[in-house]
This record gives sequence, C-alpha cells and structure tokens, in this order.
Amino acid sequence: MKDLVLKFALLAFLCTSLSVPAAQARMLTTEEFLGVSERAAHLQTVQAVLEREAVKEQLIAYGVDPADAAERISGLTDQELAELAAQMEDLPAGGSALALIGAVFLVLLILELTGVINIFNNI
Amino acid sequence: MLALLALASACSTSQTVVVEAPASELTAVPFFPQNRYQCGPAALATVLVERGVDITPEVLVPEVYLPERRGSLQLELIASTRRHGRLPYPLAQDLAMLLEEVAAGSPVLVLQNLGVAWLPRWHYAVVIGYDPAAESVLLRSGRQARRQESLSRFDRAWSLADRWALRILRPGEVPATGDPAVYLRAIMDSRELLSESDLHQALAAGVEHWPEAANLSFAAANHARDMGQVDRALNFYEHALSADAEHPGALNNLADLLLSIGEVERARKLIDQALSLVPEGSRLRTVIEETSREISEQE
Repeated sequence: MKDLVLKFALLAFLCTSLSVPAAQARMLTTEEFLGVSERAAHLQTVQAVLEREAVKEQLIAYGVDPADAAERISGLTDQELAELAAQMEDLPAGGSALALIGAVFLVLLILELTGVINIFNNI
Repeated sequence: MLALLALASACSTSQTVVVEAPASELTAVPFFPQNRYQCGPAALATVLVERGVDITPEVLVPEVYLPERRGSLQLELIASTRRHGRLPYPLAQDLAMLLEEVAAGSPVLVLQNLGVAWLPRWHYAVVIGYDPAAESVLLRSGRQARRQESLSRFDRAWSLADRWALRILRPGEVPATGDPAVYLRAIMDSRELLSESDLHQALAAGVEHWPEAANLSFAAANHARDMGQVDRALNFYEHALSADAEHPGALNNLADLLLSIGEVERARKLIDQALSLVPEGSRLRTVIEETSREISEQE
C-alpha cells in the first residue's frame, strides 16, 4: 500500500511537471479528430497509469508470472485497460472449464441428453 | 423434477437457423489440439499461424492464459494479436457475415458458450467452413481437428457469447465484410504496436477499398505527414476532401500543410471554409482558429 501511495505521488509530480503545450496552429491528429483517445489531459493519464497498475496486479493474482504481466498489457488501449480494470472478474475467460455442483449436474445432464447443450463434450 | 423437465423443454425449443451462405472449407488452416482449459492459446495460434505468424500454442500460454481463471480473456487475445504484428478486427455480430468471411478465405476466431446463460462454459474455436447441405459449421475446436456442428447448435452457443468473432488481418489486408469506421478504429487501436510501414500499408489499403470514407484518407494523410512525406499527405488530404468536401479535419490539416510549404492563399481559402463549418466554442474550432491566425501572420 505504501508502495502504491509513493508511486501515485511520484506520478502526480511527473504529470504536473510536464508542461502542456500552449494552443498553436497545428495539424489535428487522427485520434483527436475521432475523439478516440485524448491523453493530453494529465488527470486522465494518471488514471490510465493507475488502471494499468490495477490490471497488472489482477493478472498476477490470477496466476500470471509477474515478469509476463507488464508485457501482456502492452497491447491494450487505454479504453481496453479501463474495461479490464473495471470488470475483469466478470468477463468470460474462454477455457472450456466448468464448475459442477450437485443438483446442477442433474439439470445439465438432462439438457445434454435432450441435445440442448454440449457441456460434457470432452474438449 | 417437473421444473427441471419444464426447463429442458423450454430450452430445447430453439428456432431453426436459416442463413444464405456458400459451401466452404479452409483445409489449409492448421490444427493445434488444445491442452486442458487452453483453448485460448490453441485457437489463437491457429488463426495467427494461418496468417503467417511463426508461433505455437505453448508460446502463447504465458501471453494469454490465466491459470486461476482456467481460461483466456477476449481482450488478451486481441492484445496478443497486436503484439505479433497482426490487426485484430472484430466482425459484425452476424452469422451470414461470419460465413461470408470464411467463404472469402479467412478462418474466424469465435467465442462460444457451450453451457447455459446461468452456468457458462466459455470456449474458443475457429470457424473454417460451412456445409449448406448438412446445415453445419466446420470448426477447429478443442481436440477435434474437424468438428461438424449443426448450424442451430453453433448459433446458439455463439449467440450466448454475444456473437463475438475476431478476424486476424495482415497489415494491408481488408476484411470481406468490413466497415470503414470499424477498420480505422482497429488500426488506431493497434498503432502503437505496428511498424510505420505496416501502419502505412493498412491505411493505404483501407483508402483503396473504401475511397468514399473520408476519415480513412484523413488518417492516411496524417500518417504520411508524420512521416514527412508531403506529397503523399497532400494527395490523401485532397482525396479526403473529394470524398467529403466539408471534412473539417482535412480542411484544417491541409491548410496547415499548405501554409508550411508557402501556399498561403490556398491555405486561407480552406481555413475560411473550415471556420464557416465548425460552430464556435468547440475544441475543433479552437484549433481551426489558431491555424487561421497563423495564416494571417503570413498574409
């Protein structure tokens, strides 16, 4: 926790010390024009970095090697990172895994035998 | 027990799925039988290798597999695709379009829910063909190299996973069922991991395929300008304006570019047009006004 506070303080310092360029005649970037990502506002950048950190920690909690975690999030956009940070627990993890519990098993067996689902197929 | 039977019958009244699609089977698509729970790495390797990436499921495990979740997240498959120099393109949630994409020669990565909504069993597979006579979809799935799944069963499991389908593009390749806005977005989302030449190829291919999509030409022009290629940038901006004469981004950026090469008069004409189009107070307007001011200094 102390580590996180320190990181945050350092980050806040770095961000505020970066000067924001004054408005000037310039080309509009594609991102700006489409409104895809505006990383200029430094508050947003702070948030993006925190989300990056949160997702990384969640990956490690899910058993990812800490050495791989940073690399794994490198291909994600800020928006995708925000989505993961907000709801990683609820997103489907495709792996054909199934947790079976008592009575549920019976229902599933019936559904399987009647051909509705395909849950026991050994994949 | 009655309740269970009621549930079973309620679920089994699935509608017949009807779709118009030609017969197809992409026999050259590789097959990697999955290890337990690792359909993510196996399915991703299948589509990446098919598009020329030198990779194996084993190498992808530390990239996309979550041990504690016994599975892989869609966004991690997307991120991994980018890291391997390919563009992940999310297809429309439409069965006919999915099969059209396959018929056009591209395998498609899909997420399925093989269970029920309240007890999901998430599974990744790769669609490699369609057999209209048997009304079945052909898949590389799990440990089955050629799984034949009835259209209605496939559609049910796929729709329970929000009809998620991912097409892997080589930079410079355009999906058969693509949409220019989605395509541009796919490029912009991947740009930090693409080489400049891949980025250029992807944008140029989009402009060629959708000449009427002004935003694509605008993006291609901006990239050319970033690369210092003034002539190409000029062409793409002109192209964007021929598709949409009132594209404020293209008007501003072309004016800015013309100013930088001393064509002040043309720059003024364009920026005045931009000023007349964009309402005051917007973020866009601020930039256009700045450009106008800078042009004034040269007049």
